[in-house]
Amino acid sequence: MSLADLPIFSMLKQRMSWLTERQQVLAQNVANANTPGYQARDLQELDFGKMVKGDGLALSPVATNVSHIGRPVAGQSLGAAKGGVLVSAPGHETTPGGNSVVLEDQMIKVAETQSSYEMVTGLYAKSLGLLRMAVTSQG
Amino acid sequence: MGAVDLMKSMMIAASGLQAQSGRMRVIAENIANAESTARVAGGDPYRRQVPTFQEKLNRELGVPTVSIGRPIGDTSEFKLKYMPGHPAADENGYVKMPNVNTMVEAMDMREAQRSYEANLNLIQASRRMIAQTIELLKK
Repeated sequence: MSLADLPIFSMLKQRMSWLTERQQVLAQNVANANTPGYQARDLQELDFGKMVKGDGLALSPVATNVSHIGRPVAGQSLGAAKGGVLVSAPGHETTPGGNSVVLEDQMIKVAETQSSYEMVTGLYAKSLGLLRMAVTSQG
Repeated sequence: MGAVDLMKSMMIAASGLQAQSGRMRVIAENIANAESTARVAGGDPYRRQVPTFQEKLNRELGVPTVSIGRPIGDTSEFKLKYMPGHPAADENGYVKMPNVNTMVEAMDMREAQRSYEANLNLIQASRRMIAQTIELLKK
């Protein structure tokens, strides 16, 4: 049995990879903040209910191509996301050049992603500590 | 897994930095040449250059980055200035001046600066996330 078999660790792992992927999508948005016609994107939120039911934990095929059967592939032409679903997330304003990236929004999202990541790594360390406490006499 | 994806976000943000500094170069060119007239009578002066951005797939990383394309000449009209003694003056004594508006350039410069900062911010956030992941190993 590996650590990843424990539900808490696999959930944390999934959350971590979701957050890194989101960071990548946000990096793309910020890098293209002045590219005409660029639409801001984001990743679809992780479904906690699904995670608890173990739906997302099992290996499942991911649609990466429009010809695949299953869930729709948003923004597949640029396909940065491997597991997450890309959704269009335009800011509250669009420039005359058709760019819908609002830097302030993106910065907030980056900060949010970063603090969530901090929480996940913290929880991971805590869970490891709990395991250690269980296997050793002193915590 | 995580660190590699975060490195990719950093590379995307770095491409944004590069694009914005390229834009600054074009703006500097425009401001420097705001008074550059032709040398021959009735000739065209310096034409304002407009930086262009485009989303480009980086095949090495497999992620879309941003790149600065070839600057395009601004097609707006040249200003006319009455300077009969100037070598570039036409038969009526008017000299064509570049279509550079230093106010517009200053605004563009501010925007480039802001976008540059946003990209830097993203690199910092990604670096912190990598550091937190490495921190897990020390627990």
